[in-house]
Amino acid sequence: MSASNDTTGCESAETTGHEAAVLLPANLHARPAGLLARAAGEFSSTIELEHNGKTVNPAGVLGVMALGATAGSTVTVRAAGPDAHDAVAALMEILANAE
Amino acid sequence: MSATVGIVLVSHSAELASGLRLLVEQIGSDTVPVVTAAGTDDGRIGTSYDLVLKALQDADRGAGVLILPDLGSSVLTTRTVLDDHPRADAVIADAPFVEGAVAAVVAAASGADLQAVAKSAEEARHVRKQ
Repeated sequence: MSASNDTTGCESAETTGHEAAVLLPANLHARPAGLLARAAGEFSSTIELEHNGKTVNPAGVLGVMALGATAGSTVTVRAAGPDAHDAVAALMEILANAE
Repeated sequence: MSATVGIVLVSHSAELASGLRLLVEQIGSDTVPVVTAAGTDDGRIGTSYDLVLKALQDADRGAGVLILPDLGSSVLTTRTVLDDHPRADAVIADAPFVEGAVAAVVAAASGADLQAVAKSAEEARHVRKQ
């Protein structure tokens, strides 16, 4: 299961920041990376994925794969922008259900 | 939703290109038009002017076409086709074949325009394996 914790950051009228962390149930291989990249492309917020000190833009499938995130490790999703909350929720959902 | 950028895979080998198409459909999307132009007209290893020209037309959904050649005469044949049939909305990606195709299809599936899809493919140059 996903162990997610909400650490909502600053909020203003135009942009909100939001982040959450998830424990990967499976390695972040090509297929979930593809799902993640396509989902990330649907939001206007700036989104970051962080794993083991490395940060990538999840819209780039190769960057996501290059994170080398394995099952049991933690990935943090961070977003800033008008749809930050939804973006984090959508990406968390994919990460938490990766097979 | 606006049209999706089409992707053309140009290779010396029909098997190589069709295998890559299967791969990008799995990782990226089966909704992006990915058309192969691979091997000679009679199925040998090599490249075909006519197959590249036809693939360009088949991949075109109105949002432009990004062409990924594997190497050597794939690049040269593609350039010749584009010289003979110049169009602003067909671009050769200066990118590694496999990684570039994966990145391009994922970007196209997200609704990116031709310029952004090409940029995604070309960024594949910088992904290290070690």
